[in-house]
Amino acid sequence: MTALRQEPLAEEWARQRARRRSSVLARLRSKPVAAFLMCLPLLVLIVGLIIYPFFYSIYLAMLNKRETQVVWLDNFRFLFTMDTFWLVVRTSFLFTFTAVFFKALLGFILALVINTLPTRGQRVWRGVSLVPWVMPLALSTLGWWWIFEPTHSALNWILVELGFAPKSWLADPFWARFSIILVNVWYGTPFFMIMYLAGLKSIPLELFDSASIDGAGPFQQLRFITLPMLKNIIAITMLFSTIVTFANFDIVRVLTRGGPRNETHLFGTFSFRLGIESGDVPLGAAVALVMFPILAVSAFFILRGVRRSVV
Amino acid sequence: MKKQALADRREFLKTVAGGVAAASVVGFPHVSRAQTKLVLGLWDHWVPGENAVLKEIIEAWGKANKVEITIDFITSIGEKLQATAAAESRAGTGHDIMAFVTWDGTKYKDKLEPMNDVADALIKKYGPYNENATYLNFQDGKWVTLPSPIGSHTYPLETRMDLWKKHAGIDVQDIFPADVKKRDKRKVDAWDWKMFLAGAKKVHAAGFPAGMSIAENTDSNDWLGPLFASYGSTFVTPKGDITIESNATLEALEYLKELTKYLPPDIYAWDDGSNNRWLISGKGSAVINPPSAWTVAKRDQPAVAAQVWHHDAPRGAKGRWRGSLPFTWGVWKFAKNKSAAKDLLLHLGQKEQQWKLITASQGYDMPQQNSFLDHPIWQEIEPPKGGQYNYPIRGDEKLIVCGYPAKQDLAAQIYTRYPIPHMVSRVTQKGENPKEAMKWAAKEIATYMRG
Amino acid sequence: MIRSIKTRRQAVLVVCYGVIAVFMVFFLFPPYWMALTSFKTNQEIESLKGIPFLIQQGATLKHYQDLFTKTDFLIYLKNTAIITTLVTILSLVISVLAAYSLSRLGFIGAGILGTGVFLTYLVPDTLLFIPFFKIIGWLGLLNSKWSLLLVFPTAIVPFCTWILIGYFASIPRELDEAALVDGANHLQMLLRIFLPVAVPGLVAATMFAFTISWAGFLYPMAFIFSNEEQLLTVGTVTTLIKGDVYHWGGLMAGALLACLPPVLLYAFLMDYYISGLTSGSTKA
Repeated sequence: MTALRQEPLAEEWARQRARRRSSVLARLRSKPVAAFLMCLPLLVLIVGLIIYPFFYSIYLAMLNKRETQVVWLDNFRFLFTMDTFWLVVRTSFLFTFTAVFFKALLGFILALVINTLPTRGQRVWRGVSLVPWVMPLALSTLGWWWIFEPTHSALNWILVELGFAPKSWLADPFWARFSIILVNVWYGTPFFMIMYLAGLKSIPLELFDSASIDGAGPFQQLRFITLPMLKNIIAITMLFSTIVTFANFDIVRVLTRGGPRNETHLFGTFSFRLGIESGDVPLGAAVALVMFPILAVSAFFILRGVRRSVV
Repeated sequence: MKKQALADRREFLKTVAGGVAAASVVGFPHVSRAQTKLVLGLWDHWVPGENAVLKEIIEAWGKANKVEITIDFITSIGEKLQATAAAESRAGTGHDIMAFVTWDGTKYKDKLEPMNDVADALIKKYGPYNENATYLNFQDGKWVTLPSPIGSHTYPLETRMDLWKKHAGIDVQDIFPADVKKRDKRKVDAWDWKMFLAGAKKVHAAGFPAGMSIAENTDSNDWLGPLFASYGSTFVTPKGDITIESNATLEALEYLKELTKYLPPDIYAWDDGSNNRWLISGKGSAVINPPSAWTVAKRDQPAVAAQVWHHDAPRGAKGRWRGSLPFTWGVWKFAKNKSAAKDLLLHLGQKEQQWKLITASQGYDMPQQNSFLDHPIWQEIEPPKGGQYNYPIRGDEKLIVCGYPAKQDLAAQIYTRYPIPHMVSRVTQKGENPKEAMKWAAKEIATYMRG
Repeated sequence: MIRSIKTRRQAVLVVCYGVIAVFMVFFLFPPYWMALTSFKTNQEIESLKGIPFLIQQGATLKHYQDLFTKTDFLIYLKNTAIITTLVTILSLVISVLAAYSLSRLGFIGAGILGTGVFLTYLVPDTLLFIPFFKIIGWLGLLNSKWSLLLVFPTAIVPFCTWILIGYFASIPRELDEAALVDGANHLQMLLRIFLPVAVPGLVAATMFAFTISWAGFLYPMAFIFSNEEQLLTVGTVTTLIKGDVYHWGGLMAGALLACLPPVLLYAFLMDYYISGLTSGSTKA
């Protein structure tokens, strides 16, 4: 009896399930619903874990130090009177522009060079070049730090052997900035290389063939074929790199901790110094927030460039 | 249940205060605390084995009192310990007991349970904490944190006695022998910053410079703070007047300008471990550091370690000061088992436990109550025999944290934002006029005063 | 004529290899130096005598032994492997769905949302981590490795979505119109048509997600303090630097081992990535 009843029921359920499924599928066929459903996880992530925290830190930045009352923009006003803050602004820009420029340049040279090699040889060099980018930055920076270490510095050993005076890599403001930029270039160049290389591969070879038949030299080919074809990928790579470089934390944190005399602090590390090390969370949040409009403005210009070249 | 435990603790504290339980070793009434849990965030001690001893003590206590114990040993590297405290204070959850470095407890004092009952009981039993620890922990009538011996250390000079004797003609072992009674007052009094400079010049000429960092690290604070104090320079008065622009500061800066000529040029990038490596490499002839440099030397370069003598700082016109980096314990207000936490801290404050821990740390941990300073370990550790006898203060030195005597909230800022090493390196590395540097420091410190 | 082309080609190659050699020295010196340190005895590391670029007092495996026997290295490794795998899968699923939707479905606000995704990439982790304390504490995930499942994707998803939008946009529209006529819904279309064509983009996104997650430092440093929950990057640093005592040999050994899995994975995937790219372009 029960067995008899079960069977039709099971069938009925299966039919219902199928109907339900097909209706879900049917709905997935309709554009708005599908679009919404597919974007939902992204929306949850963005709203819950980026937008909400973002506004929460705006709120934090408007509190007083003990976080007992709202002081609106006083923290920012105060920040703008600090010499150290303006030093951080200058250092951050210098760091970002110099590092991104050299990463883009060296990455481009390396991509071109590797692309020129016979296809079989490319594989190895491509792989090996990626090593700096693949190593966790905090750990490789630790290795760099050991290279710069004053007493046991490997670099100074070479300098001394070559007859030069040893350098205070991380103690002298100029060389300390040089060092953090060097490590960032070391870390980021492979990323540029791989993006450019992918771009180079996508340029149809016929373009070069016909150009060389027309008598264009390598530099003309570079100027009139390669660069225009890569324009987009160069812009996008530089944009993302600018953002990541500007917000860098690990390198400065491990190498100099902002010293000497705060001359190597970036926004991220200065915010950490204020917020965590000296317990002024609102001011630390304010420093971190200042990054956002700067990044947004630079993103706007680069994006506009990308759109224009796409259209 | 909770109330009961609290009442029991009060009862117990009263007994301790009455001195009745003082004689018993552990002396804890076995309060029934079925299913009580305590989670501790403690400093990950660098001395091998100390964590294990501490863990054993705490777990034994837990077993006897039916408290389930979880311990996280958290490193201070990369400000991990500070970040953890920041995380927990913000999240309102985490460890019941947290270990704090120097000022970290003060930063969260609004969120910490006052420790007056525990501190008072321990003071009653073992005498007062040293002045430095009292200044750090006792604020506006409240013990915002409890002085902790674990990890607390001071900054004596660690001198290569062979090199200083040979090249500078200064025998530190003779000035500071391993017995305070044998000290010759004349010799000790002669040991001032001027004499140190003369010696530094000579060891530098011989190719073995002394090395002290002037950078954004605590080591820098912990030798510059005492140096300025010994010149009579006060950065901010307890009332909040900024007095850093003074002749005393000027004098100290001029002195440092001279001294740094004979220190390695990299001191502006040194971290807390650089001076250790400098000493261990055999190139450095003196650093200002707790005995950790010596300990590593003993492992890696025993010949160097055998020549390292720990001793008093040089004197200035206004006395002899030694830097310190004390640890503290705090119990969060949001902790689920404050009463059990306090009982445990009281237990750890007892002589038996303190004794064991000092031994386990090989003498690195410096107790904050003077009555514990007669622990024999500092006479025993070798080589060289008696080399750490003067690691606890034996003579006329006074302990200080850079920023004293400003009010604690401000002193914490002066310590953690490094304006003092910054001011010094403006003069000694950048070549700025000392007066300008002082002016900069005064302006910088003024910005720390925001509420 | 032919010969001159050949010699010119050879000259170009010589220059190329010269440039590559310079790059390789620059790229590989730090790992070489780290490896060297990890095989030196403590005595030799601290010593200032001799040539630092060679091991002269005998190599030792002690630092590696200690790493496995005296520290929680294996626990960190396991945690990192679990978290990285899950974070990569999670981020990719979110990104693929969103990228398809944003590039193909053209609903109202797609443009705004696309820009929004991009803008979120501008919110740096140094800004987010303080508010995260509150969210993670509220969820009861403080000191749990699972908290990283939430926070790592914030740094990964925007970029992956961005990459994938680009790849999907390059797929000719005739393809999906044909599929829709055949009665496929959007999910089927995504799975059957888009994903196979977008393999290069997927591989690139996967590699990006993997790298970011494996190398994550600030978040595990801020949110995790128990050894049982800790990840490789932070764990290596915190176990081997204690107070002001640095165990350089072990530190370098741990750092190198921690770098090995991503390096190996890249060595394998790189090929696939490039071949996917080239075959994709010849087909299209």
